[in-house]
Amino acid sequence: MNSAIYLAMRRMRAPLLALLATYAISMIGMVLMPGVDAQGRPWHMSFFHAFYFLSYTATTIGFGETPYPFSDAQRLWAIVSIYLTVVSWLYAIGKILTLLQDPAFRQVVRSARFAHSVRRLSEPFYLVCGYGETGSLLVESLDHLGCRSVVIDINLDRINELDLQDYQNYVPGLCADACPPEHLTDAGITHPRCAGVIALTNDDNANLSVAIAAKLLNPNIMVIARAESQGVMTNMASFGTDHIINPFERFGEHLALAINTPTLYLLYEWITGVPDTPLMLPLYPPRGNWILCGYGRFGKAVARNITHKAITPTLIEADPTLTDCQDCIVGAGTDGDTLTAAGVKHAACIVAGTNDDITNLSIVMTARELNPELFVVLRKNLRRNDPLFNAFGADFTMQPSNILAHECLAILTTPLLSRFLALCRVQDNDWGNQLISRLSAVIGETTPDNWDVHITPVRAPAICRQLIRKKQVRIKQLLCDPANRLDILATLPLLLVRKQRVMLLPDDDTTLKKGDQILFCGDAEAARRQVLTLYNDNALSYVLFGREAPGGSVWRWVERRRDNA
Amino acid sequence: MNIEKVAFGFFIVLAMTLNFGFFIGEFENPSHHHVYELFAAIIVNLIATVLKFGDRTQIGAIHLATSLVADLQLIIAAVVWAIAVHMSAAGLQPVTMASIVSLSGGAFLANVMSVIILIVETVMFRR
Repeated sequence: MNSAIYLAMRRMRAPLLALLATYAISMIGMVLMPGVDAQGRPWHMSFFHAFYFLSYTATTIGFGETPYPFSDAQRLWAIVSIYLTVVSWLYAIGKILTLLQDPAFRQVVRSARFAHSVRRLSEPFYLVCGYGETGSLLVESLDHLGCRSVVIDINLDRINELDLQDYQNYVPGLCADACPPEHLTDAGITHPRCAGVIALTNDDNANLSVAIAAKLLNPNIMVIARAESQGVMTNMASFGTDHIINPFERFGEHLALAINTPTLYLLYEWITGVPDTPLMLPLYPPRGNWILCGYGRFGKAVARNITHKAITPTLIEADPTLTDCQDCIVGAGTDGDTLTAAGVKHAACIVAGTNDDITNLSIVMTARELNPELFVVLRKNLRRNDPLFNAFGADFTMQPSNILAHECLAILTTPLLSRFLALCRVQDNDWGNQLISRLSAVIGETTPDNWDVHITPVRAPAICRQLIRKKQVRIKQLLCDPANRLDILATLPLLLVRKQRVMLLPDDDTTLKKGDQILFCGDAEAARRQVLTLYNDNALSYVLFGREAPGGSVWRWVERRRDNA
Repeated sequence: MNIEKVAFGFFIVLAMTLNFGFFIGEFENPSHHHVYELFAAIIVNLIATVLKFGDRTQIGAIHLATSLVADLQLIIAAVVWAIAVHMSAAGLQPVTMASIVSLSGGAFLANVMSVIILIVETVMFRR
């Protein structure tokens, strides 16, 4: 706020001096002019009355001639002072209004207000740099989960859009370049409550400088950065950026996962999906001849990742020299001729993967006309085109920003989940099949929740107390309903991390140790019930031994005596 | 020579001298303290204050603070005077005059500090 005040003061210097000077001259004049009082005696206005007279005259209010009717000399001077002071008032007011309208001043005020609201945040928050497709989706999901976030974007339109969004919590937004460290400091990168920085701008260098600034200014916070080029990715990794996401690679990998191992893809979608939405049904992309439209950065990643032997890709690219595409059919893919040349009539599947939504829709609409049996994979770039894509009803629609946002969300909210997913990607289809059937036995019709359980004195005090007493607690006991221990909660342990060891799908009989971290997947109600076992000694001892532990000290003493006897 | 510095120094010193002129004289005697002098002192003090606006340095901040103190004291003195003359039945009593003059004495002290800071600043930079 300081700089705004200084700026205002400096700009107001001239108009204030003008006001002071005109008031001084006019007041002196009014005092000096000879007048007469009610009895006709000579009278001079006092400074008090002169100031009063000028105050209402200069502001064009005009109460008339007080306290006595003016003499002609006073009227003469009143004319002079009216013109002097009214003009200087108008000048001052004009200056104030210009100052308030001044873009530089408004920017200063806005950033001061932003910095203030960030400083006042008392809950953990995430700093999101870049409020584009991915950023807005991420902020929306974080808000949905009740997490606070702070946004920086270089584009004013996007910040205005942020202001119009109807979020549960206020999300402060700053329109500024994320590169200068002072902007990041304003946005709370050094704030004690800052839980993580997510650099999602579409400029690799900006993301790089945000990641470096975060690591230097606040080395303890988690940094997630988006990077397109290999050079920037290795650079980011070299100074310890926690997670680096390449949108093109991720998209390619994701699509390849869907094609090569559909069950793993299904698993991925189930686990990372938004809770309480209907479960996605399994998809079986056909084998045979595939047509890939667009060989840009996304297209390349897709082509590189499709490794299935039964699939032979044919490429269509509008500008082969620019994209360095050899052995492809030249054309936009939106016209029937190009598609026929690519063999659409006998193809099994078409992937429309250009960076333009309308082109993609046009490609697949033409292709479906030529071959109605075609399996259609569509790339969606902008969320606002949702109605068009829903109306078309492709077999498979993928949005790169959606994938990125879900990945960031998984990393931020359940850190174990991203480790689990990384382990999943290298498993085979049968493994996926088994897990899918186990999961579907546990969860109902909707997408499950994920949560971490940390066996620490803070996150699981009751269990830690039992462990200190050398009692054994097994994973299966965390799956019991603390209301009736014969009932099993609708949840499945997916991963157990013990120091450096990682156990995928841990056995139910595994005994817990202090410091274990377990990833569970199941419905939200199960998570709520499980918390009781973790925190409440009585609930835990019921789950462990089948009886309520005595609550009061007297009863505990009686119990001990009975045990000893 | 910088015309801005001249104006700045001029108004600060003038604020002090006018203030002193009003302050000097027999303490309770209204005929020794003219209202025009008080008026001039207030106006010049206000101008000096506005001239000090917008300086972001530490010295600039103290400069502004001393000026604000002087303004406050002088304006209170003027208000006391106006109340005594126009609103109280007894008119301007010696005891009221004494309080007006002592208020202006406080303002004078603030103005002296302002001038000292000005001198210190000039000596410090020696330009």
